Amino acid sequence: VSSQQFSALTEVLFRFLTEPKEVERFLTQLSDFATMNKISLGPLKNIVKSILLVPNGALKRNLSSEQVRADFIALGLSEEKAGYFAEQWKVNSPTLTRLAVGQTLMINQLIDMEWKFGVTAGSSELEKVGSIFLQLKLVIKKGSQLENVYVELTLPQFYSFLHEMERVKTSLESFS
Amino acid sequence: APSPLSSRQLVSALHNLTRHVVYRGLTRAEDILCLFPENFHQNLKNLLTKIILENISAWRNEAQANQISLPRLVDMDWRVDIKTSSDSIVRMAVPTCLLQLKIQEDAALCGNNPVVSALTVELSKETLDTMLEGLGRIRDQLSAVANK
Repeated sequence: VSSQQFSALTEVLFRFLTEPKEVERFLTQLSDFATMNKISLGPLKNIVKSILLVPNGALKRNLSSEQVRADFIALGLSEEKAGYFAEQWKVNSPTLTRLAVGQTLMINQLIDMEWKFGVTAGSSELEKVGSIFLQLKLVIKKGSQLENVYVELTLPQFYSFLHEMERVKTSLESFS
Repeated sequence: APSPLSSRQLVSALHNLTRHVVYRGLTRAEDILCLFPENFHQNLKNLLTKIILENISAWRNEAQANQISLPRLVDMDWRVDIKTSSDSIVRMAVPTCLLQLKIQEDAALCGNNPVVSALTVELSKETLDTMLEGLGRIRDQLSAVANK
């Protein structure tokens, strides 16, 4: 495989790694590459599978681009090609790291929050009420399903909730 | 001696009277006194009015607390954890927030045994920032309404 072909292939690989949902696009680009360079798709897919193991392992162990380059050279790749790959790794690793962290297990993740507030005008017990209520709708991801939770808060509860959330923010920021 | 029927009628009548006073939000003795029929026993009328006035705000608060509503927030706790490792990354230091909301089902539905459930939600820093933005907007809208 020439260096030009290798760079093109590396590009395709990294585009897939940074957008792992684009599986179809990746496969199409791979078969285009195979036809353009007169390589058969089967062996190409096997090679790509082994190449993909390197960035995944590197990501898990937080390897630097130097270490990635060394790994590839140990695997028998030329210095030039290993260097090129390591460069691409350096450029893409923040995105890849962010993706991996994003995949980390989250319990009952809060996806969305909607609210409305209004005034209770009257009820069956009280002709005139005039109290303010705040209603929150929290969209929560439980496993693979979304669940809506509805909660009503009084004004004092709302201010206290806001205050607590600001304390959480300060706490999270001190740990970042 | 009073019969069971007349006792029941008495309780029922008293109940109707107090409910009416609470519903209309009557707060003055004169308003309550004029609810009684003309030839009603004077001292009894005054005593009943006095007792009703003493209890009115407690009854009103109770009625408001037992209103139908969406589930209500009764308590809230939080903690901040640092995620250090996972199956996709061996080493990291990502702070995350766990928020526990204690929610009570509609009091009107549960009567004397309200069901309280605890919901634990995880928030990333980004989610928290977005949430705070939303809460800030609520606060601004509330002040705008209060200042009108």
